[in-house]
Amino acid sequence: MKNFNLGNEPKITSGFTTPDGYFDTFSEKVLAQLPKQQPKVISIFSSKKNWYFAVAAILILILSIPLFTKYSTQQEEIDSATLENYIAYQSNISEEEIVNLLEQDDLDKMKLDFNIDDAAIEDALKSNSNLEQYLID
Amino acid sequence: MQDEKDFIQELLNPKTQNVAFQKLLRDYQRPLYNHIRNIVLNHDDADDVLQNTFIKVFQYLKDFKGESKLFSWMYRIATNEAITFIKQKAKRNGTTSESMQTRIVDNLRADTFFDGNEIQIKLQKAVALLPEKQQLVFKMKYYEEIKYEELSEILGTSVGALKASYHHAVKKIEDFVKNN
Repeated sequence: MKNFNLGNEPKITSGFTTPDGYFDTFSEKVLAQLPKQQPKVISIFSSKKNWYFAVAAILILILSIPLFTKYSTQQEEIDSATLENYIAYQSNISEEEIVNLLEQDDLDKMKLDFNIDDAAIEDALKSNSNLEQYLID
Repeated sequence: MQDEKDFIQELLNPKTQNVAFQKLLRDYQRPLYNHIRNIVLNHDDADDVLQNTFIKVFQYLKDFKGESKLFSWMYRIATNEAITFIKQKAKRNGTTSESMQTRIVDNLRADTFFDGNEIQIKLQKAVALLPEKQQLVFKMKYYEEIKYEELSEILGTSVGALKASYHHAVKKIEDFVKNN
């Protein structure tokens, strides 16, 4: 082997062999295993589908933000204007109705408001130029 | 190339898939077996890896972009599967893939599915001593007779670098045979 040159030698094969009929049955062996792989393919597809739904939901949310803000501010404006108008022109609540709405507590508070001393009343009467007219009445 | 695109479509179409996949198995089982066997050396291991390779090919076929040839893509899967297999096997046995390969080659004579003479055993021993990349290039070029251009596509290495690897491998092998 002193002058061994791979290029000059006759082709040296690997020497590996296979059992008889190995390749005749190999295809069947692989094909029998393939259907087991199918559910994986389906699961990848369904998870993809879920992603599509998630993306669609997020898109709808993002797109609805301007609509939502516009709608909510408009509603606020209408509310305050309507309320003002209602109070100013449409209200037909009678005094009697207001009195009926008053609770005992409210009445007690109102009593306190009238707890004014005699000097203050006198002062008020003195400064009132219509006092004499009131006395005559 | 158009034929290959049609063939891939047949493989992806559920109606034609079965027949097309049987053709794929028929055409590629022998070359891919030889390729894997040259890496893992043992028949039972080669059988396992070959089955896994075809199952992966089937699984990932829908992701195959057609950027490379179907042939190179399948060889790439087979190579990765075989190398991963020997590394995992060596790890399980608490050794390195290099020393495990050397041990297998030393015991080739006892392998039922090896029918080689002295020079074939000597060549196997010389190859087992090469670095991983040179082993791969030598096996694919010398035993499997794959062209440099195709090797380049499979291994993702330039033709120039592959030629250099092969040249180094041949030199080391010739030195080993001369001295043993």
